[in-house]
Amino acid sequence: MNIIVALWLRNLKLFIRNRVQLITLIVMPFFFLYIFSAIFKNESITNPVNYMLAGIVIATVFQASLTMGTSTIEDIVSGFMKEVLVSPVKRIQVAVGQLISAATIASLQGIIILFFGFLIGFRVNSWITPFAVIGFMIIVGLVFSGLGLFIATLVKDSQTFQIINTAISMPLTFLSGAYVPLSILPNILRFVAYLNPMTYATAFFRTIILEKTSLTIDELIEQQLAFKIGDFVITPLISMVFVLVFGFIFLILASYVFGKVDFSKINRTRNKEEEIW
Amino acid sequence: MRNLIEVQDFVKKYDKFVAVNNVTFEVEEGTIFAFLGPNGAGKSTTINTLCTILEKTSGRLAIDNKDLSHEKDAVRRAIGVVFQESTLDNKMTVHENLIMHCHFYGVPKGEAAKRIDFVLELVGMQNWKRKIVSGLSGGMKRRVEIARSLLHYPKVLFLDEPTTGLDPQTRAHIWDYIVKLQKEKKVTIFLTTHYMEEAEISNKVAIMDAGKIVALDTPRGLKQKYTKDIANIATSNEEALETALNKAEFDYTKKFGYYSIDATSLPKLMEIIGELRASITDLEIKKGTLNDVFLAITGKDIRE
Repeated sequence: MNIIVALWLRNLKLFIRNRVQLITLIVMPFFFLYIFSAIFKNESITNPVNYMLAGIVIATVFQASLTMGTSTIEDIVSGFMKEVLVSPVKRIQVAVGQLISAATIASLQGIIILFFGFLIGFRVNSWITPFAVIGFMIIVGLVFSGLGLFIATLVKDSQTFQIINTAISMPLTFLSGAYVPLSILPNILRFVAYLNPMTYATAFFRTIILEKTSLTIDELIEQQLAFKIGDFVITPLISMVFVLVFGFIFLILASYVFGKVDFSKINRTRNKEEEIW
Repeated sequence: MRNLIEVQDFVKKYDKFVAVNNVTFEVEEGTIFAFLGPNGAGKSTTINTLCTILEKTSGRLAIDNKDLSHEKDAVRRAIGVVFQESTLDNKMTVHENLIMHCHFYGVPKGEAAKRIDFVLELVGMQNWKRKIVSGLSGGMKRRVEIARSLLHYPKVLFLDEPTTGLDPQTRAHIWDYIVKLQKEKKVTIFLTTHYMEEAEISNKVAIMDAGKIVALDTPRGLKQKYTKDIANIATSNEEALETALNKAEFDYTKKFGYYSIDATSLPKLMEIIGELRASITDLEIKKGTLNDVFLAITGKDIRE
């Protein structure tokens, strides 16, 4: 337990020390808010800015947690993982430490954006809502840091990871309804969106943060918080279950691969094979 | 003295390539043991296997009577490791690095602060505690790393090429710390190096080539067995010198005006030199080095 907390504190410190990253992370979402809330104005959505803000918050949490795989790769490449390997620390402890810190940092970013949202007029009615919102951000953070860790451990290389990260996070974000309403997408893309775990995370998150839990099914569908596929309606609750299922799969994959990978062969001299011997 | 490290018939293969081929040796408690050999000889493979990072292919390896395959955790607690490349957390301070290590090894909180001060003083880095690691020089990083590896009071310290890439002065310092550690703290030290002169401080030297130990002895023993002293003499009276050398049955060659003599018996040679001192214009006696030992055993220079 101690080790997990120590790793968590370390990663948090690293995040806070990286000022430039911090500022970019805060500024970027507001560009999106400005640009994309215009798109939602034409839709049947009551408050497009809030609707968009909710989407941006969850998309940020998603992207941040996925990107945190980079820090794992840095730890592998810098040799820090080797130090962990020769110590009595269990690999699963390291994996859990990385996942929890990634989820925390991702949620922190979401909270920062919400705070600025509050400044420009975003409000909630129930006192439960903030807790539910933060709780769900942490869950989404865990789910996708699981995916991030899984990919990071497989590729073990910063540049490759960046490419894969962009290749995954861009389509998943744009086909989730967070920035662009699903209703304006062509049918094929909408079908792809239904396979995207982020679609369900976004829908559920919007439902709780915009306090739409008491809406009827028809109203939810109209506001794109529930989806009708054929005769089957995916309510926000089912969305939540989908997110958990995806999360379970990602976390299992991540801890399995992280437990197996041979870190000893990854170092800065890995091009010279003889150095390993 | 008991054996702290025991290796028997150790074999490590990568697919078909045999990196370490049937190696056997022991390391006595409280001694410095050096693994010497060119790149690719199997030194790092051996050290990485002893550090529980690699799995052996076959053989029996034990540290402090604990089997490496079955009691990994106990072995990991008993060893400290300094790798060839830095494994420090670059973006954190020296102190944060050391604290993290204490967490990893379960050093009690109250104890940790004391030990951190102690090990930093040992390597003379106490004034750099709050500095971020990435701002330190290569030599300082190595010192911090040695300090860190000692925090959990390991019985054996593994040093993989501890001075590679450092300037001569820093190298000398690092060796001072290493000898101090062995003398004062009675830590058993296992190191690899390809700097021959640096292996001289060891109690035992194993010379490795192409996955095998080709010689294992004290540095002095190796030199006595595999090298001879060479005397280079220049003289104004070549005839007298040649006669004297032939009479005493010394083998010699002549190049560039110098007689290069196999000094099999120094006293006899000194006698000749004494008799002919008036005509001798230059004199040099070269002791055998571990490099010569390596050359004699493998037929090639270590730095090739």
